[in-house]
Amino acid sequence: MRFEKEVQIHAPREKVWNFIWDVDRFIACVPGCKEAKTIEPGKRYTATMVEKVGPFRVEFPTTIEVLERRELSHIKAQASGADNKIGSRMKVDLDVNLRGEGDQTTLGFIADVDVLGKLAALGHGIIKRKADQVLDEFAQSVKRRLEGES
Amino acid sequence: MAKAPLRRSDVQTIPLSFTLNGRLQELEVEPHELLLDVVRDRLGLTGAKRSCDVQVCGACTLLVDGRPISACTTLAFEVRGRSVLTIEGLAENGKLHPLQQAFIEHGGFQCGFCTPGMILAAKALLDENPHPTLDELKHFMHGNICRCTGYKKIVESIMAAAKQMRGA
Amino acid sequence: MLKRFRLEEPGSVREASELLAQFGDAAKLYAGGTELLLAMKEGLVHYERLVNVKTVPGLKEIKAENGIVRIGALATHHEIETSPLVRERLPAFAKLERNVANVRVREAGTIGGNLCFAEPHADPGTLLLVLEAQLVAAKAAGTRRIPAEAFFVDAYETSLEPDEVLTEIHIPVPTERSGVSYMKFGYLERPSVGVAVKLSLDGGAVQNVGIAVGCAGPAPRRVKEAEELLRGKTPDEALQLLPDAGRTAAKAAQAISDLHGSQEYKEHIVGVLLRRCFQDALNQCR
Repeated sequence: MRFEKEVQIHAPREKVWNFIWDVDRFIACVPGCKEAKTIEPGKRYTATMVEKVGPFRVEFPTTIEVLERRELSHIKAQASGADNKIGSRMKVDLDVNLRGEGDQTTLGFIADVDVLGKLAALGHGIIKRKADQVLDEFAQSVKRRLEGES
Repeated sequence: MAKAPLRRSDVQTIPLSFTLNGRLQELEVEPHELLLDVVRDRLGLTGAKRSCDVQVCGACTLLVDGRPISACTTLAFEVRGRSVLTIEGLAENGKLHPLQQAFIEHGGFQCGFCTPGMILAAKALLDENPHPTLDELKHFMHGNICRCTGYKKIVESIMAAAKQMRGA
Repeated sequence: MLKRFRLEEPGSVREASELLAQFGDAAKLYAGGTELLLAMKEGLVHYERLVNVKTVPGLKEIKAENGIVRIGALATHHEIETSPLVRERLPAFAKLERNVANVRVREAGTIGGNLCFAEPHADPGTLLLVLEAQLVAAKAAGTRRIPAEAFFVDAYETSLEPDEVLTEIHIPVPTERSGVSYMKFGYLERPSVGVAVKLSLDGGAVQNVGIAVGCAGPAPRRVKEAEELLRGKTPDEALQLLPDAGRTAAKAAQAISDLHGSQEYKEHIVGVLLRRCFQDALNQCR
């Protein structure tokens, strides 16, 4: 499943870039994400993704690896996790890019989400909607945070 | 793999008394035990099959008070005080039920895996509606899947049995 | 095999509600189990306690009072399908119930369980929306009536509070010269698209139009914008406007591409079913 999101943020590129690497503040914008830990700054992080759809709850202990990094413009990362209780795996290939001059930054990201195992077979449509929601909320949350802080 | 549940004092058990193929059965079950497992593993009646395990295929069909249910998705304690019929209980005194006879005569099965469920469902149909139209038959039997026969012979078998049972 | 759980068997709605309040997320109401047990077998959910609501008396009755058909939440699909009262006063609903899943699911599954589990690919909710049903929810503190339109929130999510028990569904009997039609389409085990239409003919014009779409999106939705297009028009005018109404209803369905079909395909099917349901409902009026 591929998702493409873009959000206009009234903040300079540097500010947005620094925000991304501030793990705690960044993680706070991801719905359902908690317990973020830095394993290797700039390279490896862990977090727990908790998502709920009605009575169904998944908890993915997730590892995030930063694969590529171009200062102030581009990040390529991969997140993967497994919920063994449910027998499902999740993998996200993330492409983040920053564009813009002066006070306006366009934060864009492309997420290739793969959900494997039971969850995928039973709830493909639901997962898609949920993932879309999570990414939307995330984008809006980042924008609010950055624009709220002056 | 018949085995009795662990008797720890905090394990809840429910006394289960029911009629199985005309005979009284009394046992204790835990709430989470499925009827299919009790019938197959504890009572040794393996006619009902675990196939899709999601109530879609009908291979686990049993009749409870004459009505078809999916034993794979029925908790065993739910049959307390009720009467259960499995395929093993259909023949009486060694004499095959007209449905069983018809399935043999008309080639209503090949591998036989779906057959116990198929015949029990057909029995429920004919008990409810002794003279079904083709549409009524198909509607009722819609939830019983067969991978071998292509259904034509199954329909013929049921219609033939129906005719026989009507004394026609 | 299921994981072990404790069975609670309350003797009243109050007791059932109190058990739910007491145990919170660790407990779940259990009726026919046709959805719940599947989810539990798959290991997608687990509950320490199941509250067997079937031991509560009085939740199975089907009766009519003052032009309202009252159906107990524990009535099975089979009981509704074969109820002489439902067949007479709500034939479209009896027909819908007759076509839910398969004969075994109809035997064990309850209307209450179906509505409360709120599986997206379900039938009854869509029709209950156009019939303007009211759902009666009870808990220890009291009872309230939830209009069907406010009941379905999202996939697997209703507006019931965690300790509320659905007890009855109230369906007003449509007036004379009304038509009610529900049609569904799908080739997998569960329906992919469902459309319900209700209308009456009044002075040569189409009135009291109800249009709802289900199965294609996360929850069934009534589509007022599509209804507006057709209200007050003559049957011929309305038929001309059906493609537009169909497109509006299709968008409202919130369809997404998945194993049931692409978004475009589902939206197309909504239009087709709307046209057929509308024609069917119109014919019933004449």
